[in-house]
Amino acid sequence: MMEFGFSISPSSTMNLDKVDFSLYERLCEIEPDAKKCMACGSCSATCTAGQWTGMSVRKVLLDIQRGKEAEAARLLKGCMLCGKCTMVCPRGINTRHLILSLCRIYGEDEK
Amino acid sequence: MKDNIVIVGGGIAGMEAARQLLLLGYKPILVEKSDHLGGHVADWHCLFPDMTPAQQVVKDLTEQIKDANIFLETEVSFINKMKMGYNVMFSNGVNVICKAILLATGFDLFDASKKEEYGYGIYDQVMTNKDLEHWFNTGDDKRITGKDIKKIGFVHCVGSRDVKAGNQQCSKVCCITAIKQAMEMKERFPDAEVYCFYMDLRLFGKKYEDFYIKAQMESGVHFIRGRVSEVSENLQGQVIVKTEDTLSGKPAKITLDLLVLMAGIVCNREAVQTASMVQVPIDSDGFLKSRDNILNIIETDSKGVFLAGTATGAKTIPETAAEARAVALAIHNYLVSQQ
Amino acid sequence: MIDRFASGFDPFVIPFLIGMIFVLGYCIIGAIRLILQLDAEDKKKFFLSLITPKTIWKNIKDLFLNCLIHVKLWKRNKLLGYMHSSIAFGWFMLILLGHIECFVYMPHRVKLFYYPIFFNYFVAENEYTLRGAIFFFLMDFFLLVVLSGIVLAIIKRVRSRLFGMRRTTRPTLLDRVGLYSLWMIFPLRLLAESFTAHISGGSFLTIPMNMMFKAFLGDQMNMLPTWWAYSICLCIFMCVLPFTRYMHIPAEMLLIPFRNAGLTIKHARRGFAKAQVYSCPNCGVCIDACPMSIKKANIKDTTVYLNRNIRRRNEQRIEEISDKCLLCGKCTAVCQVGVDGPQMRIAQRSIRNYGLDQDYSGMDISAIKESVASEPSKDKVLYFAGCMTQLTPAISRAMESIFRKAGVDYAFMDKDGGLCCGRPILMAGRFDQARQLIHKNKEVIKASGAGTLVLSCPICYKIFREHYKLEGIRVMHHTEYMLELVRAGRLKLDGGAGSIVYHDPCELGRGCGIYEQPREVLRQTGELVEAEANRDMAICCGGSLGSLTLGFDKREDLTRNALHNLTVNDPDTIVTACPLCKSTFARYADKPVEDIAETVDKHTK
Repeated sequence: MMEFGFSISPSSTMNLDKVDFSLYERLCEIEPDAKKCMACGSCSATCTAGQWTGMSVRKVLLDIQRGKEAEAARLLKGCMLCGKCTMVCPRGINTRHLILSLCRIYGEDEK
Repeated sequence: MKDNIVIVGGGIAGMEAARQLLLLGYKPILVEKSDHLGGHVADWHCLFPDMTPAQQVVKDLTEQIKDANIFLETEVSFINKMKMGYNVMFSNGVNVICKAILLATGFDLFDASKKEEYGYGIYDQVMTNKDLEHWFNTGDDKRITGKDIKKIGFVHCVGSRDVKAGNQQCSKVCCITAIKQAMEMKERFPDAEVYCFYMDLRLFGKKYEDFYIKAQMESGVHFIRGRVSEVSENLQGQVIVKTEDTLSGKPAKITLDLLVLMAGIVCNREAVQTASMVQVPIDSDGFLKSRDNILNIIETDSKGVFLAGTATGAKTIPETAAEARAVALAIHNYLVSQQ
Repeated sequence: MIDRFASGFDPFVIPFLIGMIFVLGYCIIGAIRLILQLDAEDKKKFFLSLITPKTIWKNIKDLFLNCLIHVKLWKRNKLLGYMHSSIAFGWFMLILLGHIECFVYMPHRVKLFYYPIFFNYFVAENEYTLRGAIFFFLMDFFLLVVLSGIVLAIIKRVRSRLFGMRRTTRPTLLDRVGLYSLWMIFPLRLLAESFTAHISGGSFLTIPMNMMFKAFLGDQMNMLPTWWAYSICLCIFMCVLPFTRYMHIPAEMLLIPFRNAGLTIKHARRGFAKAQVYSCPNCGVCIDACPMSIKKANIKDTTVYLNRNIRRRNEQRIEEISDKCLLCGKCTAVCQVGVDGPQMRIAQRSIRNYGLDQDYSGMDISAIKESVASEPSKDKVLYFAGCMTQLTPAISRAMESIFRKAGVDYAFMDKDGGLCCGRPILMAGRFDQARQLIHKNKEVIKASGAGTLVLSCPICYKIFREHYKLEGIRVMHHTEYMLELVRAGRLKLDGGAGSIVYHDPCELGRGCGIYEQPREVLRQTGELVEAEANRDMAICCGGSLGSLTLGFDKREDLTRNALHNLTVNDPDTIVTACPLCKSTFARYADKPVEDIAETVDKHTK
């Protein structure tokens, strides 16, 4: 089978065949608007917390969509929930609720 | 032929439709609310992709429709439906009985001051695409004239693809207009650095991609993939733009001497009123509703009422002109069928 | 007056006794439980308040005015007010007078619990009757008052609009049992007392009735059954009371002392919160008041339904209702018992389990500290625009211009971006995180040495005022600060702004009680006109951060409704004092929308 070298160095590549979408799917159940993101970066640019903690809603969503849950969790911890991202989102995504929902469903499986 | 046709709007669509109808032997009545023909194009300087002077286009068309009945500074006051057509009353007191009405009402340029975070009308060095074209035409704008301009930014999608601004649609022409204007500015200010802040580059038309390559290769325009979130001003009166460089995944700021907002295409608010007089509703995208959006985009569900140009959504000039020609033929066929 | 029966007893009092003992036991145990649920600090506060003369007096006054007279309802609608106070106050007087009567004429019977209630059955009039005539008259009079209230209550069931209520709640089955038994109590009392009026004496109501019965019925066979029916009705009402909306009657008697003791909601379901839930009379006044109610889909998300679902322990609904609310506080402003809708909801949000907690401990904010640091000075002003104002730069620009015009020595705390004030995360119920942000911001404010902190955003202002505890630093919203400058003559207004309507932002108005300051400034800026509903009745713009789940597309109707309310007097300009209200209104308004700072800046001489 052709692997394009993806079996050799897994850390610097991403094998989309093996991405775990379960967290993203669970998020979309609670906040379907998560699917609307077009990665324009408005939320990250405007983010109050971003310059202090590195928070970026766009990155969190991308990380979740790519199965990088730990990285998303690290970013989420820095959110101040001020709501500026919700104000600027051109697609009208309720990013604040998206963030809170994610914080809740993290570790839901352990319960 | 005695069949009266009323064309509402003297922009490219209305003028081109009038031209074709004249060629077909009709004598259309064209009403235009402003004091000149040509619509928004009349305010523009050069047109992509061949840098055709906009004034020339408007002048050519104007000359070719001089046999039509043209009322400038005139609006439609009311329209009554009659057995065989419509009774149209104009604001200049003229009353016309016609069999066909063409709504070529065009668009409104998005009011950029509605996006307060971009600072149009608040900061000195923020202008719109239209203001810049005005400067190209007249050389008169205190934001540019006599200023030492070293860094220029273009913000794509201002009032387009933005539910918060009330318009979810792509305005189609802003990407290519931004690149065109960026290159024109680079020609006038060869030492300046020019930045385009975009969400997606939508360069779909004839030779647009060539334009893009030229902007990269010859003009050295910097393309930054990120929507601008906020603009502020420093003590020197320069504007500071906040965005995210999404490709490197980092929030970014840049200080600029001039910021140009690519105000988008939104439905003409007054046209909505005129359209409602002939029972043409608004479609879910905020523009006038066609019978369908595949083969009958220029027709409506109201008998004898036709649409052309940006009244039904953002379009380029060639697209508008093509639609105008099509609508002339559609009107002709309709009138023949009515005899 | 003499005893008719030597025993002073008849079996018909038994149902009443059962009901009375049950309801008293239930309420006393409930009250003790709620008091025990308070934390140590609140318990201390509560007991102290019970022995402080000032709060004792306030408790008595509030209990009288709210529980008996229902003053808040009178303000809302006279008919509604009369209906409630006639039943509550009338019934109270019947009980009180009954006891006095018993005490005066039958002091040896006072120890019998039921005796004053059924006084007229157990006594016979004798030569002293004339001295009791005044009592007979008063008893009949208050019975008539209560009956008039009952008649209104029946009319209200059918035509609630007459009472100024468009929408109301549907009573539950038990509510209906309680309601109908309550309605029946007083007509039955009238009947019972009328049947015995020729023995026990009566007045203008009972004597004629007694004569009428005699004429029609001729015998006294019906006397005892009506007393039985009266007692049974009382029993039914008291036995169902704890499980109906009428629980608000005893609960409010605990809520008022709790509130006067200065308690706050510390736990979502216990103590003070529980007292609020049980104090809700389910009247549904909050349904009409709620700005979300203009959409039918939101009606069941109002505070009355929150209380109902907390009583029913319907966790899913509690969560939906808590998260949707804009926290505008209008339900609290209209609530006759003062259930704190926003605080109740924040408390519900605070008991969620999160798999991830925000943590800002590692955040280094020395850069902002350095940028504002200076020697302490009383005259120095620190300006904090807030996150939302970053998106409405016209406001912060106007404020800077005003500072310069008035010659104020100021520092702009978040010119280059600051931290969030903590209010939004507090609204989401995450108290620890809010505390961390408060702590960080306090460091910066202390380092600035400023004597006054000026805020442009009411959301920030509320948390700075309530949770920051900045000793020695005045915390002011810019409306207050501008008024101070105007009064001191440091800002001179030209009055040329045309007609202005002022929108009271929820957090500034109902949240902090700032209504008059902006109006005083605006009266000097232009011609101030009022909105249809204003001040504490103002309608939320719909942009509130309070709601966690209300999506952007669900808010447009709320904004348009609020705009409609603002523009009834056709003002030239809509002025508000909140960046969030401003951007929300500007989206749909066809008139210019400004912050008060912009209006003032444009119209200074």
